[in-house]
Amino acid sequence: MAEASYTVASDSETIGEDKSSAFPEIAIGIDIGTSQCSVAVWNGSEVELLKNTRNQKIMRSYVTFKDDTPSGGVSSQLSQEHDLLSGATIFNMKRLIGRVDTDPVVHSSKNLPFLVQTLDIGVRPFIAALVNNMWRSTTPEEVLAIFLVELRVMAEAQLKRPIRNVVLTVPVSFSRFQLTRIERACAMAGLHVLRLMPEPTAVALLYGQQQQQSSHDNMGSGSEKIALIFNMGAGYCDVAVTATAGGVSQIKALAGSTIGGEDLLQNMMHYLLPESQTLFKTHGIKEIKSMALLRVATEDAIHRLSSQISVQIDLDLGDGLKINKVINRDEFEEVNRKVFVKCESLIIQCLQDAKVEVEDVNDVIVVGGCSYIPKVKNLVASMFNGKELYNGVNPLEAAVRGAAVEGAVASGINDPFGNLDLLTIQATPLAIGIRADGNNFVPVIPRNTTMPARRDLVFTTCHDNQTEALIIVYEGEEKKAEENHLLGYFKVVGIPEAPKGVPEINVCMDIDAANVLRVLVGVVMPGSRQPTIPIMEVRMPTVDDGHGWCVEALNRKCGNTQDLVTVQKKV
Amino acid sequence: MSVGVVSTCCLLSCSKPSSQVHGYLNFHNSMSRWRQNRTVIRCCNRREKPRAQHNYYELLGVSVESNAQEIKEAYRKLQKKYHPDITGQQGHQYSLLLNKAYKVLMSEDQRRKYDESIGQMRVRFGENNSPLGYSTWNGPSRPHALFVDENACIGCGECVHFASNTFTMDEALGSARVKVQYGDDDQNIEVSVQSCPVNCIHWVDTEELPVLEFLIQPQPKKGYGVYGGGWERPANVFSAAKAFSKQLKTKEAYGQSSGETTVEESPAQAQARAQASAEINMGGFFKLWKWVKETIGINDS
Repeated sequence: MAEASYTVASDSETIGEDKSSAFPEIAIGIDIGTSQCSVAVWNGSEVELLKNTRNQKIMRSYVTFKDDTPSGGVSSQLSQEHDLLSGATIFNMKRLIGRVDTDPVVHSSKNLPFLVQTLDIGVRPFIAALVNNMWRSTTPEEVLAIFLVELRVMAEAQLKRPIRNVVLTVPVSFSRFQLTRIERACAMAGLHVLRLMPEPTAVALLYGQQQQQSSHDNMGSGSEKIALIFNMGAGYCDVAVTATAGGVSQIKALAGSTIGGEDLLQNMMHYLLPESQTLFKTHGIKEIKSMALLRVATEDAIHRLSSQISVQIDLDLGDGLKINKVINRDEFEEVNRKVFVKCESLIIQCLQDAKVEVEDVNDVIVVGGCSYIPKVKNLVASMFNGKELYNGVNPLEAAVRGAAVEGAVASGINDPFGNLDLLTIQATPLAIGIRADGNNFVPVIPRNTTMPARRDLVFTTCHDNQTEALIIVYEGEEKKAEENHLLGYFKVVGIPEAPKGVPEINVCMDIDAANVLRVLVGVVMPGSRQPTIPIMEVRMPTVDDGHGWCVEALNRKCGNTQDLVTVQKKV
Repeated sequence: MSVGVVSTCCLLSCSKPSSQVHGYLNFHNSMSRWRQNRTVIRCCNRREKPRAQHNYYELLGVSVESNAQEIKEAYRKLQKKYHPDITGQQGHQYSLLLNKAYKVLMSEDQRRKYDESIGQMRVRFGENNSPLGYSTWNGPSRPHALFVDENACIGCGECVHFASNTFTMDEALGSARVKVQYGDDDQNIEVSVQSCPVNCIHWVDTEELPVLEFLIQPQPKKGYGVYGGGWERPANVFSAAKAFSKQLKTKEAYGQSSGETTVEESPAQAQARAQASAEINMGGFFKLWKWVKETIGINDS
């Protein structure tokens, strides 16, 4: 089935594509991080990172709204970092995209130096930049799209060809709904998403390539290697266990959470100025400036703590509010103890899911901005009995390089030296299932299932003569249905009247290698080999904003009259 | 009706992914590789009954005795050929099957259940549960074992007369065969060995026994029209066994150096695997989807 694309290509573009079919267009890799981003491309023999006009390979992810034209961190020249925080600059969009205003992550973003307003009812948060003393509203998708356009223009100028296909890295913990938002942002920027790759799996691909190259060099010994990849950036922390041999990287397990450098920063800001929440509540121009100053100073202090034991912070926030403090590394680690504990638990969970023992791990790879923090490095190393960490990758470039390699592989590029003779076999980071047995979440495809995946489960009616059944699809790990991410819902009608428990309602879920989820539902009556009504096929997610509300409305409307129960497996 | 359609379309989509895939230039190379290597003996064919029996083992191209490492390597190799990342959407169906087969065979529990369900007993060399054609052991394993060179045997039945628990007559082939190693006491066995008029009963090393017993079984011979066909076995089973063991060893040595122990498949085997896919697909609910998809004309496979 042809991939549905959002963009409408103009005539000239179509011709361009035809021409390039002999030489397939190489998709570029983009790592669009919470605070930083980069672009890389396979240049025919190796991965090359693209630089902006200021000769930077790694650019800040932000967009400044000024008068009419917004400009992003790729092209704009900032005279002073404080300008970045004048209220007109929006950043951290990767933390906010696809989240509703009841989400704790959205609430913790409220002390960013721009406007994040919540109604706390489960709708989109209101986000706005201060332009000429006016709040100009925007959305995370729009900000990302502006940013992606700049990246695209930069890449097109350097590669001297139009760019359409991209491979983007995404956090493991992103829900499918969030992934659609990223796709939406790309579509707005005129880009077609070839693959959305969980960040650590991009690193795994790069690692697989390196292992294959080194095994070529010493003539074989293509033995299996198991690596644990720990990726902690500004917004998210991801862990993956990969088994690689002969250029094939099999992702054994994934784990991820919304913790990162931003949490460290906020904890430190709270530590330095405990009353900041109430002080900055009004979001006036003055407060934004103070918030920004505090933010910049704290970030700088954290960076310096990576190489120093202690730092002196002298800060004048105006209105007689001054901070003079010496912070040492132990304090920093104690303030953020919970974050580090969470990191540990993610690694433990990932190892358990992969059924891999600590001793079996050949290489431990720590990447992402937070990998420069000594505590993070020590924490991971100590979990592997002080094992030396893998040093074959650049912590800030690993993900984007992996994405570029995937871009080349998925574009069907061949390398005469076998450097692209690679494959990543992905796994599903979250379970997908439906609501059944009352309000329970019944997974059909469990988490860490190898992709492509297809599973089916049989359900049945829970009332006599029940002719309709509501299929509500969720994604997540929680027992209660509504605590998971809602993906969509539809109704099966025309079930023949029969006592409860008789009709077999078969729910099949299919995820292809491009991570497209299809839910199929068929009804079979016992004794018949054929479905009684046409099978329904729905591509998920179908939900738009206002997730939880729909289900509440459905519950009000239908009660439990259209519920399903699982059928005990016949042995 | 629908069965035929499905298997054809699966055959197309599985065995010839190159036809619709652009940019995957490597495929033709791999085809020629298949041809070069197709004469290599593959273990999984050896006890195959004439009826077509397709299963997860064949899908992965591994023997029923293969260990986790071999399965893993075969799986990765096939994924590298057929994964949708490489072959596009056509690879989806096939990749799904590979994942399924891999999952079942990699879990000791599920594999045992699956083996039972297909009536396939996993035989390890030297174990006691050998089916027809292989001798079983009475008592503990010993360094030497009895072997009847059925090529030389004239079917006199003397050995069966003296040691009826050890030897048996294969009525169809008209030759004697060891049924149970050391089935009678040593004296009777010795007498029966001596009694053979053509001296076709041999004492062999226990390690060599499985290979010899495998090779002595008549294998179907390839026919060309009205010529050929029928059954054949090596004229000199002992030299054949030596050659076979040597081949196995070089294969292992090769496998260790390059990390590849599975043998490239021949086009015929690829086709068999495609058929296996089709058959496995037909089970249960999948049939239903297929049926509906064809009826209402959705075609995404």
